[in-house]
Parts: sequence; C-alpha cells; structure tokens
Amino acid sequence: MARAVRSTNSRVDLTVLAAATLLALVARGLPQNLRDPIASSMRRSLLAPLVMLQERAEASRRSLLLDAERTAIRDSVALRAMTVGAIENENDRLRELIGLGARLRWGFIPAEAIHGRGVRDVTTMTLTAGSNAGVRRLSPVVSPEGVVGMVSNVDPTMSEAMIWTHPDFRVSAMSEDGSAFGIVQAHAASATTGYLMELRGIPFRSQLKPGSLVVSSGLGGVWPRGIPIGTVLSEISTSEGWARTYLVKPSVSPADIGAVMILRTDRVTRGFENVWMAAAAAEAAAQRIVVAGDSAARAAALAEAAARRAALDTTRRDTTAGGQIPGGLPPELLPDTLSRAPATAQPFDSAAAAARRDAARRAAARRDSIRRDSVARDSAAPPRSPTRGF
Amino acid sequence: MTLGSIARAIATFLILVLLHYTLRPLLGWRAPMDFLLLALLLSAIRVRPAVGALLGLALGIISDSLTPDALGAGAVGMTIVGYLASWLKAVFFADNLALNAFFFFMGKWIFDVIYFSVEQRMGGVEMIQQLLLWSPLSAAATAVAGVLLLLIMRPLLEPAKV
Repeated sequence: MARAVRSTNSRVDLTVLAAATLLALVARGLPQNLRDPIASSMRRSLLAPLVMLQERAEASRRSLLLDAERTAIRDSVALRAMTVGAIENENDRLRELIGLGARLRWGFIPAEAIHGRGVRDVTTMTLTAGSNAGVRRLSPVVSPEGVVGMVSNVDPTMSEAMIWTHPDFRVSAMSEDGSAFGIVQAHAASATTGYLMELRGIPFRSQLKPGSLVVSSGLGGVWPRGIPIGTVLSEISTSEGWARTYLVKPSVSPADIGAVMILRTDRVTRGFENVWMAAAAAEAAAQRIVVAGDSAARAAALAEAAARRAALDTTRRDTTAGGQIPGGLPPELLPDTLSRAPATAQPFDSAAAAARRDAARRAAARRDSIRRDSVARDSAAPPRSPTRGF
Repeated sequence: MTLGSIARAIATFLILVLLHYTLRPLLGWRAPMDFLLLALLLSAIRVRPAVGALLGLALGIISDSLTPDALGAGAVGMTIVGYLASWLKAVFFADNLALNAFFFFMGKWIFDVIYFSVEQRMGGVEMIQQLLLWSPLSAAATAVAGVLLLLIMRPLLEPAKV
C-alpha cells in the first residue's frame, strides 16, 4: 500500500516536473513580440519593488565607484600641487644658472650635485661631471648665488666636491669695496645656529657694517676675484686680539645646492669681469626703475587731482559771482554738478583734500628716503678716480 | 510542517530574494553569488519534488523577466534544480556544512549549465570559459554565501523533520 502511494507520488512529481519544464521551454520559445509584453508586465507589477531595489543598489555602487575615482583624482591633484612648489624653485634655479652661463660665456662645466647624506649635515657632494668633461682637482664650484665649494677628487665621469661647510674649506675674501681682506671658513658653531661662515683676519682698522657683501679676493690662485661669498651679519669676539672676525651669512645655502657650474682652470685665469657684480647691479637697477615708475605715476595722479581741484574752485567762484545777481542764477543755468551738489558737499571735499594732502606727504617722505638711500650709497662708494688704490 | 516553521521558511526565502536584488548588484562581482538559487534550494528541501519544481518555475520566470531575451532559460534551470534539490534533500541535508556547501555549489553549477545551454547565446570557447571558469567561481561564491547563511541563520533554516 505504502509502495503504491510512493509510486503514485513519484509519478505525480515527475508529471509536474515535465509540465513545468515544458512550460518553461514554451516561454523560451515564445516569439519576441510576445516575450517582451510578458516580461514588461511582470516588471511593472510583481517585480516593481525588486527592480526598484536593484536600481538603487546599482546606483549606490556607481556612486561608490565614482567616489573612489574622485578621491583618487583629488589625491593625485594634491600630490601634484605639493610638487609644484619644488618644480617652480628648480625652474627658477635653472633659469638663474642659464643666466650665469650666458654671462660666463665659456669655460664652465654644468653639473648636478648629488647629496650623499642628509641635507643638513652635508660637507661634501658628488658632481655628475668628471675628468672626461674637463674637471680638474681644485676647480671652483659656483652657483648663480656665489661660492659653493671646490673639487677635491676627480673620476672620469664623476667628481667629489668639498662644500664650503667643510672644516677644511678656506677662501681668500674681501669686502665688496676692497677695503678689508681676510679668510672665510665655515663657522664652528654651525650645528646649532645653522650654516654660517666666519670672515677672519680682518685688520682692526677696517670695520665692516652688517649687510656688507663679502666676495672672493682672487688671492691664493684657486678662486678668482669677485664671486659673492656672503653678507656680514655681525662681529664676533675671538681669542685672537690682533684681528676682527665677522659672522657671515652665506650666499649659497647647502640645502639649496642642486645644479652647479664647475669653472675650468683656463677660465679662472682669465678673470670674470664682474660677472656676478653685473648681475647684482642689473637687479638693483631694475628695482630702481620700478621705484621711479611708481613715483612718476604717483606724481601724475597728484597733478591730475590738483588740476581737478583748480577747475572745481574756478566753477565755485563763477557760481559765487552769479550769486551777486539779485536772486542769483536761475537753477536751469547752474552747472549740473553744482546744482546737484548740496551744502553737505563741503565736508566731503575737505575730507578728500585732507586725504590728498596725506598721500602727497607720504609720497614726499618716500621720495626723500629713496634720495637719502642713494646719497648714502654714493657717499659709501669709493671715489671713482683713476688714482684709486694708489 | 508547523505554522512556525512555514513562517520561518517564508522569512528566509524573502530575505534571500531581497539580498539577491540589493547585495548582489551592490557587490558587482564578475562571478556573483546567486541568492535566488539559495532561496530555491533552501525552500525545495522542505517540500515535495513537484512543489520544488513549481517553485523553481515561478522563481525562474520572475528572474527571467529582467532579461527578456533569455525568458524561459532560467525557468528551465530552476525547475530542474528545484526538483533535484527536493529529491536529494535526504542525502544532502545532513548536519554537515561541507556537504551543504557541495550541495549549493552543485546546484548553482547545474543551473548555469542548463541556463547557458538553453539560452544558446554563447558558443564555442566563450561557452567553455563560462562553464569551466566563471560558473564554478560563481558557484563557489554562492556556496560560501550559503554556508555563511546556514551558520548565521541556523535557527531559521532548520530543515523540517520528514
């Protein structure tokens, strides 16, 4: 009995399976024009909530992916922005180097400096030019700012240079006007105060003011004359009682050394005809031109304001004269500006005049200060006579 | 089956259907897990083979309506898989997770074989690649999801005592 029931159930199950499979196959075999309406009606009715859920899930996924892409783009932009400053600095330095190369014209070897250790404690560096390029031992290494160091070892393709921060580095130096001579070396306390230099051996009769430029003197045969070394910060007391020692801020910071130029021996012997000084003078002249342009513009603006004030005064006098006519001028004959200007215009006018006076006073003070600076520079400069130095 | 067990089975079925239309598109995997098939398998083991086949037919038609070009292919596959799952329930639904994982894996793979054979959209190398690479991967993902569901929802998924 049980076997018969089981057999019947199996037959029913198989029949249902066959019928369901047949139905599914029929659905599969339906033509396109029947399939689409069936599917569409199911999507609109029974499946509508599920379709909506799926749409939202896919939209969420898209937004997640877009967010990840946006984050990646934002990160890459931020990364590039971080490097822009460094690239701009490098660009400026390379421009300066190209400018120096144009002034030197010949006798130099461009090279890249490779720092071996940390930037803050470097005393030597490797240069990407060697004896094959004409580099010799003791060749001076310079940058557009001034003295960098000296080649100490030379390989065919590379060379090693001693930076001015090295304890053994010395360069014969003088003040810009040639009134004081001494020896520049690295300042011993540099580890705590940053990289500074000492100008030693200056005679007591020679006193240097803070801000004075120190350049190479050309004595000693290694360094040519006139390459900037640094500017005087202050005098320091030392155990030597026979000479003054000055603390010097270097023209070239060790951290900024990148692209440099190695001067060839034959170029050093020919001198530099004030290559660095000419650049400094050109920069100063450009600054003076800018200041003069500002002053001229300011003077023109003041003159224009004065002319406008004079015209207004003339008009006001005419109006006063019109007031002598009994009853004054009729309103339609008054100038527009005066007819519209009420009695309250007077305080505004006086305030404007006060502002103009203030601006003129400031401009005059600035002109005077510029003139004082020029006079001071001229008086501080050595006399330009042919007998100088004799 | 008691009323409570029927309610639990329906709740499980609805949860899986919801997961199929929410979690699966959210993950967007190339070899996706098939929660609809898991719902069919877990329901079919509680009913007679004929009911399993009809359940498969209904689920197949519903899922096919989102891909009108393949209307009926999924229905054929799910009908057969639903029938087989119901027929094999005594063998597979012992209290053994590895056996259950194999059950889910085979269910999904057999479904894919039937589906892609009936659909007749792919052929040649593409078909072989689908059936031997992507379908097993999808079946494995489905099996893992099924086992995790069994572990998490064990009280709801207790099979009916026959």
